[in-house]
Amino acid sequence: MQGPLIDTLARRGVTRRTFLKYCATLASMMALPPTAGRAMAEAMAAARRPSVIWLPFQECTGCTESITRSHSPTIEGMIFDMISLDYQETLMAAAGHQAEEALHTAMKDNAGKYLLIVDGSIPLGQDGAYSCIGGRSNVDILKEAAAGAAAVIAVGSCASFGGIPKANPNPTGAVSVSDLVKDKPIVNIPGCPPIPVVMTGVLAHYLTFGSLPELDDKGRPKSFYGDTIHDRCYRRPFYDQGKFAKTFDDEGARQGWCLFELGCKGPVTHNACATVKWNGGTSWPVESGHGCLGCSEPDFWDGGSFYKALSAPADPLKFAAAAAVVGAGAGVAVSVANRVKKNTAKAMHETTTLADLEK
Amino acid sequence: MSLDSISIHVVPPGEPGLTGNAPPLLRELLEMVRRLLETGEPSAIDLSALPLTPADLDWLRDKLGTGEIGVTLQANGESTLNETACPGVWWVTHHNEQGAVTSQFIEVAFVPDLVKAHPQDVEIGSGYLELLVSDL
Repeated sequence: MQGPLIDTLARRGVTRRTFLKYCATLASMMALPPTAGRAMAEAMAAARRPSVIWLPFQECTGCTESITRSHSPTIEGMIFDMISLDYQETLMAAAGHQAEEALHTAMKDNAGKYLLIVDGSIPLGQDGAYSCIGGRSNVDILKEAAAGAAAVIAVGSCASFGGIPKANPNPTGAVSVSDLVKDKPIVNIPGCPPIPVVMTGVLAHYLTFGSLPELDDKGRPKSFYGDTIHDRCYRRPFYDQGKFAKTFDDEGARQGWCLFELGCKGPVTHNACATVKWNGGTSWPVESGHGCLGCSEPDFWDGGSFYKALSAPADPLKFAAAAAVVGAGAGVAVSVANRVKKNTAKAMHETTTLADLEK
Repeated sequence: MSLDSISIHVVPPGEPGLTGNAPPLLRELLEMVRRLLETGEPSAIDLSALPLTPADLDWLRDKLGTGEIGVTLQANGESTLNETACPGVWWVTHHNEQGAVTSQFIEVAFVPDLVKAHPQDVEIGSGYLELLVSDL
């Protein structure tokens, strides 16, 4: 199925206008100028399928699930199908030696041009013996595959930052892709799992402009990770007014007030959940009444309890002074209360219990 | 057990009201309309990228009014392209299949791009017509 993308889409019953509309929305999500949708559609429609090699390391396949089962057959899914996915253990029909051969053929035929997608962290302990594919350690495979790649896309928090395998005490010596690959452009798409459209957005950007999108200091595309969850949260006005839910079933929770005091990590988490949402735009964690866990930030697993409020309020300079005082005041109060609790817990050498979670 | 037996009532957050972010857009639109007249260059404002509350959008929609033409597009959900009372200024809303708004624009153009047929598609159409004619 080679040939321009638009032909492949047409064969699947996607009309040009559907595609144009999709590109307009995608451009809007990627914070590109409104007229970029048209340029994007033109360029993408004519684009040839890039070869993509996807290597899974220490991972749970949640990232693959997120992207491939993103909700009914979306265009995201179709575009994803449309890349020439030459190696993906979960999705490919081939197995064993046949699969490994496909990997090497793709690497040879597209040397210097293929995109390498990695999900999962890479264990370095015991010479990498903790995770091997076809008798070779992950670190070996990654180094070989990265050498011929045009760019590396680290999908999920594990590949981006080490994720859960790297969580204290990191028994396998897990590291991220960027810890090992130093000479190739790397895009981190963290999240546990990441949002499907972010993935498509990066691919679309590559197909349209032939380059990778602008990245922040942690290697994440600015267009999706530029704002914090808190910045774009629909519950933000309640934070500014100092209205907080104190438990998960009090009046504040029912009124949909801010979940800051229940441990929401929104103020320090950069991701697009608040705007793009999940499950085809149905909802997202905060909308369903639970604070953000901060899964797209490095070491989120070791950041303390998910249910303890952050120790500092979100950047109070960003909003009106009066609201800031209320917000900051509440933040400090909570932080003091939590520090006392934390110290007590430390002194008593307790692990977090259900009672802690209930506060 | 039905959902009704759970005694939680969802209270929608109150209307945040006007922020004052909408009026400057009218000036920007004026510039865009002038440019369209002088150079023929179309342009657009991405409404979902701006900090506008529902009240702001209503205000803007109300000010711009309703024109003569409304286009409905059925493509992966409904899209509406409605001309406002200012000819050449179009209010474009894209919905997904579930009916949620995915993006919203104000386009300044003689005809929005999305409405025009693409030459390649017209070619396919002419092929089909030829087929019909050959069957006569």
